[in-house]
Amino acid sequence: MSSVSPVSTAAPSVIKVQKTEQAFLSLKGLHKSFGPYEVLHDVSLEMHKGEVLAIIGPSGSGKSTLLRCINQLSPPTAGSVSMDGVTIEAGCSSSRNDLVKLRRRIGMVFQSFNLFPHLTVLQNVSLAQVRTMGRSKRDADKKSLELLDRVGLANKAELYPARCSGGQQQRIAIARALALEPELMLFDEPTSALDPELGLEVLAVMKELANEGMSMIMVTHEMHFAETVSDRVVVMAEGRILEQGISREVMRNPQHERVVQFLRAVRDR
Amino acid sequence: MFDVFKAMLDGVPWTIAVTLLSFTIGCLLGFPICWLRMSPFRVISFATASLVLIIRSIPPIVWLFFVFFGAGGGLLNLSPIAAAVTGLGIITAAQMSEVYRGALSAVPVGQYEAAHVLNLNARQRFVDIILPQMLRIVVPSAATYAISLLKDSAVASTIGVTDISAVAYQVTQQTFKGIEVYTTAALLYLLLSVPVALFSRWLGATLNTRISK
Ligand SMILES: Nc1ncnc2c1ncn2[C@@H]1O[C@H](COP(=O)(O)OP(=O)(O)O)[C@@H](O)[C@H]1O
Ligand SMILES: [Mg+2]
Repeated sequence: MSSVSPVSTAAPSVIKVQKTEQAFLSLKGLHKSFGPYEVLHDVSLEMHKGEVLAIIGPSGSGKSTLLRCINQLSPPTAGSVSMDGVTIEAGCSSSRNDLVKLRRRIGMVFQSFNLFPHLTVLQNVSLAQVRTMGRSKRDADKKSLELLDRVGLANKAELYPARCSGGQQQRIAIARALALEPELMLFDEPTSALDPELGLEVLAVMKELANEGMSMIMVTHEMHFAETVSDRVVVMAEGRILEQGISREVMRNPQHERVVQFLRAVRDR
Repeated sequence: MFDVFKAMLDGVPWTIAVTLLSFTIGCLLGFPICWLRMSPFRVISFATASLVLIIRSIPPIVWLFFVFFGAGGGLLNLSPIAAAVTGLGIITAAQMSEVYRGALSAVPVGQYEAAHVLNLNARQRFVDIILPQMLRIVVPSAATYAISLLKDSAVASTIGVTDISAVAYQVTQQTFKGIEVYTTAALLYLLLSVPVALFSRWLGATLNTRISK
């Protein structure tokens, strides 16, 4: 992305954007506490439409929590999330309307797939279309089959998820999220529960999605994928953004000592 | 022997009625009790938990006497069958509320989260996603409970419901053929519980083959 500053910068900072361009997603001063423990401290981040962001960092650093704050699955305790004109301010009783509007634009894929075991693959992908978009069952099924075809699984439509491999289940989960036509996709370690070969088929689907211009934020431990597919890498530790910048820059030439250590540890694994 | 058997059949509809009605009431009433039990308001969940514990700790016969002679005698005028169904229904509800609670916590939290990020509303999340998975877990314990309720329904005879046990007592008094009579009674209870066990097996198997197809 040409609009992103080529220099990786130390946190806490907001990535520089060209003044003419309005940020698509903007997180301002996010805090999140569980009881007395604050796990996100003042996180701010901006992102353009079509950008692909990778969030990396040691386990427990708050990556998942940040994703869940973005779609309000776990609402932040302070700060704001804005997406294309809709702003959710923590603490303010934001209207249900805005919350629904925000959620509708964001799809999410989990590490553990979370397909519904009592529904067939096709029903998994169709259910929310019928319930939340007012599509007829026929239209929903048609759309679902198109999407399943796209992730290479149209032949599994009538099976129950338990009969599909982990990699297949994750691709179905991606199709299920895409069926609601989100503008932003969040991925929380989508391949961490998978054997490497099965992870590859999921990564291939994600790469294709990125190439098609989907805005994506993914938490990942796949360093190569982060470097080659994402436009920008964000490194988190202890609830803060340590460093962020163009993927190659951050991965090859990190500025922060803590990031150097983390990358070395991951590469030595 | 055949006369004894024929006389005893009179009790069967009452045993079935008491069991079926109190089981139905209990299964339905178990949901709101479970909901109160899981309330985020400590006072409500604590009060409900205490009540459930109390009801589950009282022997059914004491509870039934309490409903029939206590509440029934003083406040309401309950017929024996109404008192039996109410009393056993409440015990069943307390029991089922715990079964539901266990089943709810056995549904992985990821299921709620997936339903949430797909924008399903609270009702849809429960009806489309949680309830079907919960029922699958509930069926075996509910069936076990239904069979023990069928046997426990015999306490209804103590407050004047003319069920299998009551009829057995009467027939013994008239014929003094205790062995035949109570063998017949045992057989009748067995015959009634077999279909419940078979049905639950079939239901469990059907639900399971469906998700692994
Ligand atoms: N629901 C929760 N209740 C309490 N603490 C939590 C909860 N979720 C996460 N945490 C804590 O927040 C911190 C960040 O967790 P998480 O966002 O899952 O990290 P990551 O995804 O980077 O591994 C951890 O210390 C974790 O224990
Ligand atoms: Mg995580």
